[in-house]
Order: sequence, then C-alpha cells, then structure tokens
Amino acid sequence: MMDWLEQNWLFIASPLAVFVAFFIISLWLRRILFNSKLLNNVKWDGDQYIRQGIRTPFIHWMLLLGVYVGVHISVLPEAGKELADRVIGTLFTVSLFWVCITVSEKLIRYYLNKLKASPRGVSSVVNFSRVAFIVAGVLVVLDIWGAPTTPIILIIATVVLVTILAARNAILNVFAGFELTRGNLIKPGDYIKLSTGEEGYILYISWTNARIKSLENNVIVIPNSKVTQSTVINYGRPLKKAKEPFKFYTRLHLNELTGIKASNIDELVDGLKTVPDAVIYYHTHHFIEEHHYLVPEPANDFSVWTGDALDDTVLSEKLAGIDTYEFTNINALRMRIIAVIEEYISTKPVLHNAYPGREFHFIKSVGLVMPTAYSAYDLREFVEILRKISLDSLYFHMFESRLRLGKGINDFSIWLKDNLDENDIANSISHLDPYNYTLSGLRSAVIQLIEKRIK
Amino acid sequence: MDINPVKKYAVKIEDYEAIVGKSTIDELRFVADKLKNKIMQNVNSTFSGGGVAEILDHMIPLLNQLGLDARWDVIRGNAEFFEVTKKFHNALHGNDAAISITPEDYSIFNETSRKNIDELNLKGDIFLIHDPQPIALIAKKKEVGGSWIWRCHIDVSNPDRAVWGYLRKYILQYNAAVFSAPNFAQQLPIRQFMISPSIDPVSEKNREISQEIINSVLEKYQLNTDKPIILQVSRFDYLKDPVGVIKAFNIVKKSYDCQLVLAGGTATDDPESTEVIKTTREFADGIPDVHILEIPPKSDIEINALQRAATIVMQKSIKEGFGLTISEALWKSKPVVASAVGGIPLQIKNKLTGLLCHSIEGAAVAVKQLLGNPDYASWLGNNGKEHVRQNFLITRHVKDYLLLCLAIKNAKDVIYL
Repeated sequence: MMDWLEQNWLFIASPLAVFVAFFIISLWLRRILFNSKLLNNVKWDGDQYIRQGIRTPFIHWMLLLGVYVGVHISVLPEAGKELADRVIGTLFTVSLFWVCITVSEKLIRYYLNKLKASPRGVSSVVNFSRVAFIVAGVLVVLDIWGAPTTPIILIIATVVLVTILAARNAILNVFAGFELTRGNLIKPGDYIKLSTGEEGYILYISWTNARIKSLENNVIVIPNSKVTQSTVINYGRPLKKAKEPFKFYTRLHLNELTGIKASNIDELVDGLKTVPDAVIYYHTHHFIEEHHYLVPEPANDFSVWTGDALDDTVLSEKLAGIDTYEFTNINALRMRIIAVIEEYISTKPVLHNAYPGREFHFIKSVGLVMPTAYSAYDLREFVEILRKISLDSLYFHMFESRLRLGKGINDFSIWLKDNLDENDIANSISHLDPYNYTLSGLRSAVIQLIEKRIK
Repeated sequence: MDINPVKKYAVKIEDYEAIVGKSTIDELRFVADKLKNKIMQNVNSTFSGGGVAEILDHMIPLLNQLGLDARWDVIRGNAEFFEVTKKFHNALHGNDAAISITPEDYSIFNETSRKNIDELNLKGDIFLIHDPQPIALIAKKKEVGGSWIWRCHIDVSNPDRAVWGYLRKYILQYNAAVFSAPNFAQQLPIRQFMISPSIDPVSEKNREISQEIINSVLEKYQLNTDKPIILQVSRFDYLKDPVGVIKAFNIVKKSYDCQLVLAGGTATDDPESTEVIKTTREFADGIPDVHILEIPPKSDIEINALQRAATIVMQKSIKEGFGLTISEALWKSKPVVASAVGGIPLQIKNKLTGLLCHSIEGAAVAVKQLLGNPDYASWLGNNGKEHVRQNFLITRHVKDYLLLCLAIKNAKDVIYL
C-alpha cells in the first residue's frame, strides 16, 4: 500500500491540489465579486435577491468544478469518470435549480407585493414557478443519466403553449404591470391622461390592471397592457384638495313667448317696466348662447331693435353702451335700460313706428338647471373638467349664477376663494368680462389662467 | 348607382356625438331620464310630405332611444277635408283664400274631426297636436287626461281673424301652444313657447354624400354641370312664390350665365300643389335654363345632391312657417338668399349667415352679389353651417321638447331638476 502510494502520490496529490486550489480561488472570487463596487452600483431592486441567493451556492459550484477537474486529471478509469460526471452534474443541477426556486420566489413576492396582488395570487404564482423549475430540473437530471426526455418535453411544451394561449391577455397584463412598477412610470396618486381618452387620478395598480378615478367620479379599470400601449401624459402628484368639491351644473333654456309686443318706443318702455325679470334677462343674454360661435356680441335686443326697426342709431348705440357686466341683479339692469331710453326721448322724441312685422316681441327665458356628472377637488381636475363640460355649463356658472341668481360673482371665483384659498386666480377670473368673449374664447381664457397657476 | 337605398340607416343617438359633442348628448340623456317611460303622443295629418312629417319621422326614434315612449299617429280625412284645412292654412298665413271659407267648410272640418275623435285611440302623458288639422282632438282631453300642447308650425303672425277666432276656441283648451318664431305669438291666456324646428344631420337628406352621387343626380335631371345652379327647394305652393323666383332669375340671367332649378314635391295634405306646378310651368315656358323638377316622395338623397350641387340656394317665400330647406342648405355650407318672412330671419342673420331680401329685385341683387363674390358667399355659407349646428339641429329640437314637457307643469322662471 505504502509502496503504491509512494509510486503514485502524484496521481492522488494532483487532483487534491486542484480541488484545494479551486476552493481557495472560489473564496477569493466570491470576495471580489460580491463586494465589488460594480455590483453595488446596479440600480435594479431585484439584484439583492440574486446576490443573496447565490452567495453560498457559488462556493458549492466552484467546489463541484474543482471535483470535476480533479476527477478528469486523476487515474480513475473512464467508467468511473463518467459516473463521477453524472453525479457532479446532478448535484450541480439540483443546486442551481434550488437557487432558481428561492431567488424567483423572492423576486415574485417582491414585485407582486408592489402590485398589491392578493396573497392567494402571490402564492399561486410562486407555486407555479416552483413546479416549473422542479420539472425543468428533473428533465435535466434525467438527461444527464441518459433517460429519454423528448416525449416528456413535447408534452410539457404543449401544455405550456395551450396555457399561454388561454391566458395570453392576463400574461400580457402581468408583464405590463411589471413594466409599470419596475420603471416607476406611474404610481398611485398621479393624475394621468391616456391617448385613448381615459383620465383621472390613479387609485392603485394591481398586477393585472390600473384603477383610476375619473372626472365623473367613476372608478375606471384599465388593463395594464392598455396603459403601456397608450401614450400616457402623467401630470404628477395631486394638487391641494378643496374642502368642498366644485360641482358642475348646467343650464338649458326654453323660450316662452309672452304675447306682449311693442311697435314704438313708448310701448317698449311700458313693456320694460312690466315684464318679469326673466324677459329682461332673455333680451340681454340670448345672443350669447345663440351666436357665441361667431362673434362676441355685447349688444342687447333693445339696442338692435331701436336701430333696425325704429331707425334710431343714436339710441341704439346708447343702449348698446350699457355694460351688462356692471350689474349684479336684473332689476338694476332693467332700470338702467329704461333710464337710458327715457333720458334720450326727453330730449329727442322717437316718433317712428316699426313697420308691421318688425315689432318687438317680449320673450321670457325659462332656465332649467341640472347637475352634471362632474365635480372637481383640485385645480387639475377643475381644468380638465372645464375642457369637457358643455358651453351651457360654462354659461351657467359664468353668467347665469352671477346675474340671474344674484350671486354678484361667478361660481368659479367663489369656489376658488372659499375652498382653495386661490384668491389671485379667483380675482383674475372675476375680472374677465365674459360679455366680451365668445363662450369658447371664455373657456380658453379661464383654462389658461388656471394652467398658468398649476404649471 | 343606387341612390335610393332601400335599407334605411338606423340612426342612434350616439351618432350625433361627433356633430354636437358628447356633453350635449349627455345633457339630453339627463333630461330624458326625468321623463323616463312617459308617453308622448304626437298627432298630425300625414306620415309623409312636408316638414312636420319629416321632423317626426326622425325625432320619434330618438325620443324612444332616450327612454320616452314617443308615439305618432295621424288623423284620417278625405280630399274635401284637406281642401278645407288647406284653406285654413292659407287663411292663417293671412292669404285671401279665407274669403272663400264657407259655413259648409266648417261643417266638413267638424264632421271629420268628430270622426277622428271617435276613432283615434289616444293614450299618453303629453300630447303634441301638430297644426290646425287635428286641433279638435282636444275634445279628448277630459277623457284621456295628460298635458295637451298645440304645436303650430304655421306663420300666424297675421292670421285671418275669422279662422283664427274659430280655431282659438280649441287652442284655449290646451295647456300650452308652441310656435316657431317670436312674431307668431298671440294674445292667449295659455302659456306660449317658441321652439324652432330642425333638420337631422345624419338623415339621407343631410348626410355627406359622394361627388359620384351628386353627379348621377345632375345627370338624371339633365342639369348642366358647367353653369352655376341657383336652387329653390320647396313644396309647389303659391306662398313659396316660384314665379317670383323665376322673375328674379330673369334679372340675374342678364349678368350671369346660370341656371335655375325649382325642385319640390307634394304632400298628401296639400291638394293645391298640382295647380301651382302647372302655373309655374306655364310661366317658365320659353325661358332658357329653368328646370322645374317634380321630385317624387322619399327622394331625400336627390334633394341632398341638388342642394350640394347648388351654387346659391334661394327661399323667396311670401309667407313661411320656418323654412327648413334653408337650414338644410346652410348645413351644406351653401350661401342662401331668402325672404325676411316667418321664421327665416331666425336662420338668416343678414350679411352674417346669408342675405335677406324683401322683393324680387332685392333677391336678384343678392344673388348677383354672391355670384360675383365667391369668397364672400363661402364665408356666409360656413357661418350658416355653424349657426345651424348651434340652433337648428334635431338634437336641439329634441332637447326643447323634453324641456317643454318638464316646464309645462312648472311655471317658475328657473327650474331646478
């Protein structure tokens, strides 16, 4: 025995020396690799799980490599070497797949928890990944030991393919969810607008969908894949919230004929003194709604009629010169119109009668006020709703509330001041003379003022 | 090419979103919701021909889509009855025909009305009775209940007092009356509302059509594609003054080489139209480039094509309820020359959305002005289209009817829904 050892010590010492060398190299390499600045600079959140997962197995794999090299430079017979290769391969496969299972489990839990997936959902995905790695590992081991694996692989591939096809949308959404959370592109609390039209504050992002609160206060569920495939404008974090939301109303109107008509200036004055406020309101405001698309037309029907039907352009101009915006209630406006006419005819009587068919017909405006689906809690929501609401709604808050309902100031300014302490912007809006804009122009002017504030 | 497709396009309320905006349609839905399942019974005198039938044909399906139970029925009457109601129609317009209304005519009207009262099975929450022909149905008010509204589509700004007095006893029994223009308002103890009629932008008559279809219609009626077309579309009726249009054309023709097209059909409740066509043809005899086209019923796409092919559209009416053909032309961005009568000034804001005239000579001057200034004509046409979009589309009309149903039971000036 001793003789044999003396004669063959090199065949034993060499593999041992190789094994020991690999052990030392592995310790040195692990120190270098796992403490290097290069790895520490990786900004991916998942890298810590990979490093933790392979720190210990790395030594095992290096030792198995050392055994493999040692066996191959040893004097073992070929059959022995082959057996050793299979054992080493099996051990390496088991270790590698074990690492895959533990690392993937940690990564899955990390990301799905970020996506607020249910515990049941997380555990299903973890179990699926475990089974997948175990099956793959068994297949590799069987292959190492020479067992036929092709039929098994084909069966598994078919099952996987069918599963993927059946759940392709869900899979797409899950991957999109990973993409959204990994890149921190959007997060709960952000105000987003998709190119497909949906917009609102993100409530949360699950592993299959994102939920947003729309401007109509509905919760919209959008598949994650749709979010990633759309152009998304992210306006960022919410702005200061109002104590009470601004509830948008709209107002529709119906024209009621009074049957009262005037053929001359005296009859016009008589009518002005007796008709209800709703008639004065109609004749000083209907042009805003009917012709708002063409020109800002700060005239009133009394001015138009005295000019066109009574051929008195001076009186017409004087009536057109009445600034409706100065008045905060209709009766004051009525008195002013009457005063202008009476003052004029006291110095220059208007004797002309309107031709038959061109009489002035007093019409009453019947307003029907109704809520819309929109309410705003902050300036971002407010401005986005302003873009969407009908011109009737804008009209109601800027004209009707101020004068007809006798508030004296438009609704927007009141809310901005009382609920958001936005005094500057409230004042800016209340200083806009709405009668000098088309309704579309007025909408743009208010939007610009608010956008300037929230930029 | 099939220019008269048999299959009628099934219009949905959503189809209008692209034209008037989603918020407008949302508002319609909100208002309609307040009237959900209410029965709105409409009654007039014909299912086809004329503006009333056309509006109801398009409006009823929309009201039903919005959740109301809108219904439409017509009264029955023989030729004698419709001759009498035509006389009423003319008399309400202030025409001399009223002189010829005899006691026997009133008897015929009463007799047919009584039959209709007995035969028509009416049921509803709101009854809209259109024009004078079915006005006597108000006798059923006590029996069936509901709110009754008389919807007058006629220019009654200067009615024959005898006929108006006769009809007034019926009108007073209604809860409200609806007129198309402010100057049609009367001294009445019941509430009166102003609701303008409308056009349907997605109907066969108003939807976009291809140049190929337009060309095929021009070819069918042998119209010269090289000459500007001056078009008047209207029923053949003396009140539309087709002879006056030809006279104006004769003046224009001295300065511009153009052609005149008078296109129109007849309505089952208008026995006078055949005579008007004959008179017009006799007057036009020997005048080159005048085309008098009798367009058969249900030829909306042909009317559409003619309006789109026109250079200028005229409506030289002597009296006019509203004149929806003007809105149709404006919707196609056509410059319009029209008489300042009835509801026309609501559509034509002079020199802003078209040109108003008061005489044959005035009409001729306006047409020449537009033929000589195509940019100005185009500007007027584009303004006109927007004016119609805002004020004379069927969505606004539906909205007004819905609001009327809500306002009829509430006399306040501001109503909170």
